[in-house]
Amino acid sequence: MTPARWRLINDLFHAVLARDAGDRAAFLEQSAAGDPDLVREVQTLLASHGRAERFLDEPAWGVAADLILDAPPASRAGTNVGPYFIVEEIGRGGMGVVYAADDRRLGRAVALKALAPEFTRDPVRRARLTREARAAAALSHPAIATIFALEEIDGELYIASELVRGRTLREEVRDGPLPAERLVSTLIDICGALVAAHDCGIVHRDLKPENVMRRVDGQIKVLDFGLAQSDSGRNLSALSRLTEAGAAMGTPGYMAPEQLSGAEVDARADIFAFGVLAWELATAEHPFGTDAASLLARMTELMDGGSGRLSRSLPMPALDQIARRCMRGAPVERYPTSAALLADLRALDITGTPVPRVSDRTLWWWQLHQLVAATLIGIMPAAVWAIRPWLRYPYGSALFFVTLTLAIVSVTLRLNLSFTSRVLTHTLVDHRARAYPAIVICETCLATALLGIAAVLFGQHDAVAALLLGVAVVTLASLTLIEPATTRAAGLTRA
Amino acid sequence: MMDDRQSVDSLLPIVYQELRRLAAGYLRRERAGQTLQPTALVHEAYMRLLKDKPDRWQNRAHFCAIAAHSMRQILIERARARDAQKRGGARQRVTLDEGLVAGGNRSIDLLALDEALERLAAFDPEQARLVELRFFGGLTVEETAEAMGISPATVKRHWTVASAWLARELEGSPQT
Repeated sequence: MTPARWRLINDLFHAVLARDAGDRAAFLEQSAAGDPDLVREVQTLLASHGRAERFLDEPAWGVAADLILDAPPASRAGTNVGPYFIVEEIGRGGMGVVYAADDRRLGRAVALKALAPEFTRDPVRRARLTREARAAAALSHPAIATIFALEEIDGELYIASELVRGRTLREEVRDGPLPAERLVSTLIDICGALVAAHDCGIVHRDLKPENVMRRVDGQIKVLDFGLAQSDSGRNLSALSRLTEAGAAMGTPGYMAPEQLSGAEVDARADIFAFGVLAWELATAEHPFGTDAASLLARMTELMDGGSGRLSRSLPMPALDQIARRCMRGAPVERYPTSAALLADLRALDITGTPVPRVSDRTLWWWQLHQLVAATLIGIMPAAVWAIRPWLRYPYGSALFFVTLTLAIVSVTLRLNLSFTSRVLTHTLVDHRARAYPAIVICETCLATALLGIAAVLFGQHDAVAALLLGVAVVTLASLTLIEPATTRAAGLTRA
Repeated sequence: MMDDRQSVDSLLPIVYQELRRLAAGYLRRERAGQTLQPTALVHEAYMRLLKDKPDRWQNRAHFCAIAAHSMRQILIERARARDAQKRGGARQRVTLDEGLVAGGNRSIDLLALDEALERLAAFDPEQARLVELRFFGGLTVEETAEAMGISPATVKRHWTVASAWLARELEGSPQT
């Protein structure tokens, strides 16, 4: 068919269609006289038009809904598969159906994953899966669900692994963000599993809350290590990765940009996913938003080399930094290894920095302490000024200027901390850690000066000397005992 | 469109997700016996993206074309995968007549449709694009007209003849 011929057919088709039904045949014969082919073309088109007027009227996703959703395979609970007795279905994922089963040979309970046929059809893929499962089976770590065997039964592939009873982190995070302490220890456990796997050259490739379980006894277990397939070398389009294997090539919201674009991935792709996971556990929200459009926008941004801008920050500043570094678009800007990441996470845990879940009531006491101390210190130069005449010239004036300088420094710092505690709470811990040594030096010097003056005045102005002694002692006690206590109570310490 | 390879690839996961959402919604509503008011996926996705990234998708027509084409690719890949799964000989074609008469079963042989659409594109690329936008992209006549820069009346004319031609091709009538 040539375009010109088609145009002719089109014109005639519409012309005939515009006629009354009765006139059409005659009109067609007359218009296309001498071209029986043309007549036949238009006739058959009209016939099809009449029969299938609403053909294609429904959009493709309606017509092919079942194709998109893929009818799930029937459950096999209660049957035997090779040496396994299937007890019950416990989950369905991108890769297939997971059953709780009994291995009758050893009498142990296992999780048996029946791999969907699209994984096992292709011999290349099958070989790769076999190889990776074998590698993953060598992993032994308390936070990794052990793979026992890859079984081929009646031409289908099954993976038998440790049966973990508990909740996935997806279920857990539905109840809201994890409390700080639990969050940090969970992240350390997961990262420990990553370190162990990466040391053996195994990349997870599909780390997400669905793939991490907390066993009933609290032990974290990362599932499905190394089972998500890499496509590098197979030259598949992003499209094939998604359609051929469903979600099993990774999950868009957790895939690092290089993984999404089909490039070779390494451990740093897991580090990216870890950042997303950490964020989600800390906030109960996905960092790139929940709807498809915003997810796409962030991902495109990351693929363009930017860093996904995040609309909020984590309640723990230190963890916020860690998560952001994990989620950098360019792999080189992320943590180079999971071991480096683990070190930073451990540092979080030991120092407790990330936990200025500053309690308001204890913070109030701390703030009160700052104000009382600032007032006390502020009065000191005035007192020295008042008793200056009793001291020999020029010592009185010199002492006054020294105390005034020290007091100004100390009071300024304390008022500044007090301000920070009200306005920039999340920087308070760091800020206080920097300012406090200066305060200690200033106030120790002030107290020493007061003690010196008290010693000089003793015997002539006993009452004043005693008062100065008292103030000096209170200042020192405040520095060494009271302030550390209120600081700890308010959760502002690092150590 | 080639320089947009990257954009298209990053669009796919999203299109796929939306496709699943729509398909699920479709089945739900169908089971509930409600009449279907198909949402124009492309339209919705476009509006949301426009809000989010005004500079990236300035050209609406361009965006619609990419999204509709992505959906076609996804569906065809899936259909092929299923076909390969069934293996063992001829694929199970559901002829159009059967489908229409049965009413409940509207299955269309997507692979055959895809091939026919390729043939149509050889002598009328504009009509092929139009079918892609309407059938795979789910655009209305008006939206298609806007995306293609032609009048709704022209869209209807093209649509009538193109769908008749495709229907005939799928019925297995003598090809030309």
